[in-house]
Amino acid sequence: MTCEEVVNILSDYIENCLDEALTIEVRAHLETCPRCHILLDTTEKMIAFCRKCSKQTIPSEHRQRILSQLQEELEQRQKLL
Amino acid sequence: MLEEASLLEAFKSDEPSQALSVLFERYADPIYRLALGLLRDPQAAEDIVQETFLAALVHRHQFEGRSKIGTWLYRIAYNASRDRIRKKKEELLPNEEIEDDDPNPMPMPKQLIAWNWSPEALVTDEEAKQELQKAIQSLPSSLKAVFLLRDVEELSTEETAEALGISPGAVKVRLHRARLALRERLSSYFAERISGAN
Repeated sequence: MTCEEVVNILSDYIENCLDEALTIEVRAHLETCPRCHILLDTTEKMIAFCRKCSKQTIPSEHRQRILSQLQEELEQRQKLL
Repeated sequence: MLEEASLLEAFKSDEPSQALSVLFERYADPIYRLALGLLRDPQAAEDIVQETFLAALVHRHQFEGRSKIGTWLYRIAYNASRDRIRKKKEELLPNEEIEDDDPNPMPMPKQLIAWNWSPEALVTDEEAKQELQKAIQSLPSSLKAVFLLRDVEELSTEETAEALGISPGAVKVRLHRARLALRERLSSYFAERISGAN
């Protein structure tokens, strides 16, 4: 297996979506290719970093205001029925 | 926690108030993050949250439950965000289309240096976090939406495909391109940081 082939299926490898034979081939390549090993390691770290740092939330007072407005809108609509 | 079927039944009933609160509690923040990622404007992202739940209330009887409620809500929010992007682009660049899949082959990684930091350590690194946000913002909208739903909100490939109205195959290709692009940009940043420290 070449580095280019590993690059093309790296996400499938990370997701465990490859069949067993391909998984073994990628694993064997990674054991002998430091560049692809770094590629895998840094891609996995990037995903974990994103998951940990991209959890913005609506400011709590705005959140309460939006929900209250939606509940008021619902009440208005129910009165019209 | 209310099961999906009971929640949908309650939401479609004549008294959907409690179900609305449950859905809002569950999905308001993820929808906000998707809209914020696409629009880069906190106020506009809050507007999208409101529009999404209002549209869901108005059209709830038409929702047949073929997908999860959450997937349906993401779809409403994504379409509303795209409409805003489209309007903005019409104002600024009349002929520019929303980005579609890049027909070029997958780019080969150039920057291959080891990251000497764990993701846990990076969480407290404000400069790296800013760089990460810049990197995400630099993605084309079509890649960004897939990346946010798959890798940040952790939806499945199928759920993401349903939410964005594209095929599972397109989700996989776009996710892979997004990951490679983000990894490349962050690796360049870390390489500069290492060379600056030496």
